[in-house]
Amino acid sequence: MSPALLLLLPLLSVVVIFFGTKWSGTLSALVSVASVAGSLGVTLALFSTDSSMVAMNWIALGDVLQVDIGLRWDRLARGMMFVVTLVGTLVHVFSLAYMREDEAKARYFGCLSLFMFSMTGIVLADNLVMMFIFWELVGVSSYLLIGHWFTKASAADAAKKAFITNRIGDFGFLIGILMLFGLTGTVSFTGLENWLAGGHAGASAGLLTAAALCLFCGAVGKSAQAPLHVWLPDAMEGPTPVSALIHAATMVAAGVFMLVRVGFLIEASETAGLVIAWVGGFTALLAALMATQQDDIKKILAYSTLSQLGYMVMVVGLGSGEAAMFHLYTHAFFKALLFLGAGAIIYACHHEQNIWKMGGLKTRMPITFAAFGIGTLALIAFPFTSGFFSKEAILDIALHENKLLFLIAAGVAFLTAFYMSRLLVVTFLGAPRSEHAGHAKEVSVIMFVPLLILAFLSVVAGYKPVAELLQAQLPDVHWNWFVFFVSLATMLAGAGLGFLRYLDKRSEPKVIPVLANKFYFDEAYGWAVRNLQDGLAWVVRGLDALFIDGLAVGGITRLTEGVGCLFRRVITGNLQAYSYLFGVGVFVLIYFTVFLR
Amino acid sequence: MPAYILELIVVGLGLILLLLESFLPRLGAKGLAAIGSVGLLVVLFLLPSVTGAPSESTGIIWKFYSADSLALFYKGLALITTILVLMMSVVYVPVMQRYLGTGGGVGEYLILPVFTCAGLMWMASANDLTSIFVSLEVVTIGFYIMVAYMRRNVGSLEAGVKYLILGAVSTGFLVYGIAFLFGVTGQTNLDVISTVLGLLEGQDKIILFSFALLLVAFGFKVAAVPFQMWVPDVYQGAPTPTAAFLSVGSKAAGFIVLSRIVDAFLGDHGVQTGDGSYQDQIQRVLLVVAGATILFGSLAAIPQTNFKRLMAYSSISHAGFILLALACAYPVRMDMASGEVVAFYLAAYLPMTMAAFFVLCIVRSSRGEEEISVLDGLGKRSPFLAFVLLVSVMGLAGIPLTVGFLGKLYVFQAALDQGHFVLLAIATLGAAAGFYYYFKVVRSMYWNAPSDQDAIAVGTGSRVLLALLAAAIIFLGLNQGIILGFLR
Repeated sequence: MSPALLLLLPLLSVVVIFFGTKWSGTLSALVSVASVAGSLGVTLALFSTDSSMVAMNWIALGDVLQVDIGLRWDRLARGMMFVVTLVGTLVHVFSLAYMREDEAKARYFGCLSLFMFSMTGIVLADNLVMMFIFWELVGVSSYLLIGHWFTKASAADAAKKAFITNRIGDFGFLIGILMLFGLTGTVSFTGLENWLAGGHAGASAGLLTAAALCLFCGAVGKSAQAPLHVWLPDAMEGPTPVSALIHAATMVAAGVFMLVRVGFLIEASETAGLVIAWVGGFTALLAALMATQQDDIKKILAYSTLSQLGYMVMVVGLGSGEAAMFHLYTHAFFKALLFLGAGAIIYACHHEQNIWKMGGLKTRMPITFAAFGIGTLALIAFPFTSGFFSKEAILDIALHENKLLFLIAAGVAFLTAFYMSRLLVVTFLGAPRSEHAGHAKEVSVIMFVPLLILAFLSVVAGYKPVAELLQAQLPDVHWNWFVFFVSLATMLAGAGLGFLRYLDKRSEPKVIPVLANKFYFDEAYGWAVRNLQDGLAWVVRGLDALFIDGLAVGGITRLTEGVGCLFRRVITGNLQAYSYLFGVGVFVLIYFTVFLR
Repeated sequence: MPAYILELIVVGLGLILLLLESFLPRLGAKGLAAIGSVGLLVVLFLLPSVTGAPSESTGIIWKFYSADSLALFYKGLALITTILVLMMSVVYVPVMQRYLGTGGGVGEYLILPVFTCAGLMWMASANDLTSIFVSLEVVTIGFYIMVAYMRRNVGSLEAGVKYLILGAVSTGFLVYGIAFLFGVTGQTNLDVISTVLGLLEGQDKIILFSFALLLVAFGFKVAAVPFQMWVPDVYQGAPTPTAAFLSVGSKAAGFIVLSRIVDAFLGDHGVQTGDGSYQDQIQRVLLVVAGATILFGSLAAIPQTNFKRLMAYSSISHAGFILLALACAYPVRMDMASGEVVAFYLAAYLPMTMAAFFVLCIVRSSRGEEEISVLDGLGKRSPFLAFVLLVSVMGLAGIPLTVGFLGKLYVFQAALDQGHFVLLAIATLGAAAGFYYYFKVVRSMYWNAPSDQDAIAVGTGSRVLLALLAAAIIFLGLNQGIILGFLR
């Protein structure tokens, strides 16, 4: 068995669904679920192998350029692949129930398979060009899934916003790839590593830093780091299982994964690492602040995702890819759990997403409550859940590398505990604040079984033997009582404050406009687009109409037409004109060839 | 088995088909096409097993005929093209019958491609001016008939007359050029001519003159500026399968001969140096013609509304790219010869163009027009056809992961290799314009509302063939080794 199977299975599912079973939603769903379960099986079966292979030589131009379609199956890929296929499988199963009555079920599952294909490509890619192609494909499938209910204007807009924002980052990514290629003459990870190991970096350290930061631009877009974070909260317009899979557990983590893949570049440049760490830390803080004032259950989770991704990016910048991947791995489970839990709540409340219209769900949905509670505990790093271990590692590294970032990280831990307890209290405790919440019922087996599996993993995944077994990256950190007490104190303080402040409240006690309005990022961008970009577009359009359309294209058309008219007047019939032109052409060619030297 | 047996088999196949058509009229168009395709398929499978010239040249035939790997490659292209044209013709027969009146049979229309194919195969091997001339005329005469085949259709007749007269003029220049070249060198075999040209001194003007005359003739064949004006009218008027055949088969054969001639003229001169030798001048002329062709084809394609005219201008622009590859005769840092780049581009061009014309044939046989607007809403009416056409225009535009991308990539690389930066800029412009005008087809298929809601019926055979073509466009684009493997 070869890792190539992991790419082929979802691709096959896409082809089968879009060219065969599109007429039947149920059949398509089964095909898709079978393919993702198959991928999970293959991943598990290949756990003990380690290989890299070149499937095809895509481009080989002598000694100029060599791009292969090659797969790299190492521990990093195995761990990531396990997360992707496991969460993928659970989300597919959950979707069976969640999307049961959807009209476009076949399209939904087809797009999910397309996403699995693209994500697998990123994980397995052994060179930057291939990664970039799948990177874009992930963007496409995310666009399609966010806009699944495209008849709703807000969903269509959110899809567009996500795609365009990502493109901005990807532009940097592309430039980074080209710079690295120009610098080193290779695009494969092994080639780049060898080049760096060969000690060529010294002379071009500045360029290398720039290239690494350009690659980081791609990660800023995909992992929704500030200032390109604006698309992720809006992406919650997509179906909730999609939010769980793509916008929480896997795709948004692709940026972090990519950074870890090219970690050797970041290590080679101190400046790049510092910039990355600060962008991550800044995003973590910003997003956590924004999360405290949101009312939409999915948006709160989205901002929390942003903030956790900020943690990961920060720690990559601080030089520990292992800690980032470890947090990615635990975060994937508990965040997917929280999103699927939110999905169950939303489903039970007839698509109500405002937490102030919920309440009292503890007694009506006990299993969901239990699972959601476990997810919350893991997210706020309650001792001895999986999130605790990974956050401990991050705090520990931050403490050693950069004291200021450690303070920020601790502050974020406090805020996380605060907004998550707010979410939990408002949603599950107290009395129902709307009719739908009052009539909510526990969801079906097919929905809560994935929740329970994820809840189990959220608890145990952080323990070393389990993580070893599941091929996760383990950071090399030691128990530190100081970090433990800081983490415990911030967690207890945040959670306590959240409980006290929100227990039995019927609405937000104090609205802080700047946080509720997300620091006015969207407004600022809107202003910039309206005034700067549209102005530029107006000028460019004028130039286009004048020079390109008017002179180049239009000019040639008019010239041919004019010449045609001229000849038509002199000579009747086209053929004569053509022969005449032919003759002129012969003279011109002969003159040019023989006499014009 | 010597290679020339294959041409004999193909001619024999054509004769058998003629007899079958006369004595077994029940066979019908489908039967003839089926027998013809199977026969050509057999020849295609025999292709790898043929042998080239024996070590000591015994037969006189080897003075006129070569069977190097390039020749075999182009023979393969000719065979595949002809098979696809036969298949396409079957779909197109109902349209043709409208314009044939009573008593007009379509049998010959399915048999002529077979004879033409023999001519194309011979052209691929021709390495003597006389055999070049004869095989070229075999092909051209076949095309005269096929272009004008719908004799009650004014457009088809007009196209036929235009092609005939302009073709005759260009043939005249070919003979003139051959005569001059013979006058200079006293030889007709291209290998010998190459040696003799290398020994001549002080004859630059006359050598260049004969080259210019030959370039006129082959410029007409491959649709290079300024001998391209027949292309849009003839494509538009001719039956669609013939347009496809012209666009791929005739162009490929024109290019193999042209590249043999250019090779003979350039000898082992090397990269253009600016030393004023006639070899330098030839490369310069080719570059200028290539640039003009790319620019003209790409820019003139932009305002087109008729699908066949669009394909005609796009085929002109592709001819420009191939000429550019031909002009970059001596790649330095690439491990591909210029002839290989040309062959690769043509092999890439084959499935893309064939798929586009095939889809058009099917749409045309249900609707009587060939404007781009007949494709409106094709994505809804026939998702399969729309998808195949999408893949095909993606390839023609040169989007990565299709074989068209690799073709363009090699041409750009070859131009970069020799430092022709002006040509690179023009080629970039042409490729960018391609994105625009090919996108018109995509927009029409997926954005515009269909004017006609009926689904389009696609036969199983056509469906399989189209799926194969689409798969080839993508798969060959993922793995460059396949085409190169056949080439070497």
